[in-house]
Amino acid sequence: MAKGTDGIQVEGTVTECLRNANFRVELTNGHVVLAHISGKIRKNYIKILPFDRVLVELSEYDLNRGRILFRYRN
Amino acid sequence: MNTLVITRVGERQWHALDDDLVVGRGDASPRPDGRLYLSVDAWHDSVFERLAAVMLAALPRPLYTVVDEADLDLTARWQQAGLTVRRREWEYVMASGTVSVPSPRGVTMLPAGRAELRPLRRLDRTIHAEIESSPGWDLMPAAVLSRPLDPGRYLVAAGSDGYVGLARLALLPRHTRIGLIAVRASRRRRGIARAMLAEVLRSSQERGVPTVSAEVHEANAEAIALFEGAGARRHGSNLELVIR
Repeated sequence: MAKGTDGIQVEGTVTECLRNANFRVELTNGHVVLAHISGKIRKNYIKILPFDRVLVELSEYDLNRGRILFRYRN
Repeated sequence: MNTLVITRVGERQWHALDDDLVVGRGDASPRPDGRLYLSVDAWHDSVFERLAAVMLAALPRPLYTVVDEADLDLTARWQQAGLTVRRREWEYVMASGTVSVPSPRGVTMLPAGRAELRPLRRLDRTIHAEIESSPGWDLMPAAVLSRPLDPGRYLVAAGSDGYVGLARLALLPRHTRIGLIAVRASRRRRGIARAMLAEVLRSSQERGVPTVSAEVHEANAEAIALFEGAGARRHGSNLELVIR
C-alpha cells in the first residue's frame, strides 16, 4: 500500500493561458506556479480559462511547477 | 527511480510507486462507444515510459489518447510509446456579439432550454445516424459524453415540420463552448447552421460571455467555413493518437 503521493494539492486561480499548453496559476497563498493539465482533464475536453478556480498538484521536485487536477464550477 | 514499481490499483488504473510513494498515475477511460482513452501523469520521463509500457501491454487494442499539439513533450512521450497521430482538431475561438445573418425562411431559433425533449431526442438520433453514415460519429468529440439529453444545453432550429438543427452547448461562466452544431441532411445548404451560430454568439453576449469556442476536424471544410465566416480564429489544436 502506498504511503502517499509525491504532490501537494493546493487551490488556485488561473491567471494566464500560455501558448505551450501551460497555465499560470496563482495559488491561494499568493505563490504563482506554471501548470499543465492532467491527463484526465485533457481526455474529457475540459477547457481551462483565465479566472477559473482550479485544484493544482505541485511537484515535490519543483514547487514552481504544477498539474491542474480539477476545475471548480465557479 | 531505482525502486520504481508499477502497480495495477483498479481495473483501468495504475500507480507508479517509488519507495511506496506514488510518483505517477495511469488511467484508461472508456468512451460511450467502448474505445479506451489513456492518460499518464508523471513528472519524470522514465516513470511515464514504464507506466505507458505496462498499460499498453495490459489493455486490449486499439488504444487512444488526446494531447494538445502545443504540448510537444507529452506528444513525444506517447509517440515514443508507439502511438501515432490519427486525427487533428482545430480549436476555433470567436467573440460573442451580434452577427447579421438572415433567418432561413420558415425556421425559428429556440434558445437553450426551450426545446421539447421528445422531438429533440428524435432529432439527435436522426443526426447521429446521418453523421454515422458519412464522416463517422467516432470522429466527433461529441462521442465523449453520454449524459442524458438535456434541452437546457441545446439551441434548436425548428422548422414548420419539426426540429431541423441543433447546437449542443456548454454554458460555462465566462465562456460558451459548442460541442456539436448540426443540421438534418435534407435541410442543409440553407443557412440554418449559420443562423444557429449567430444565435449562439448573440445569446452568449447577452449573458455577458466574451468568447465562444468549438473544435473542428481539420478535414471538415464545411464547419471550418462556417466558423471562419463568423470571424473565428484558430487558437490551437488537439491530436488524437492511437496504437493498434
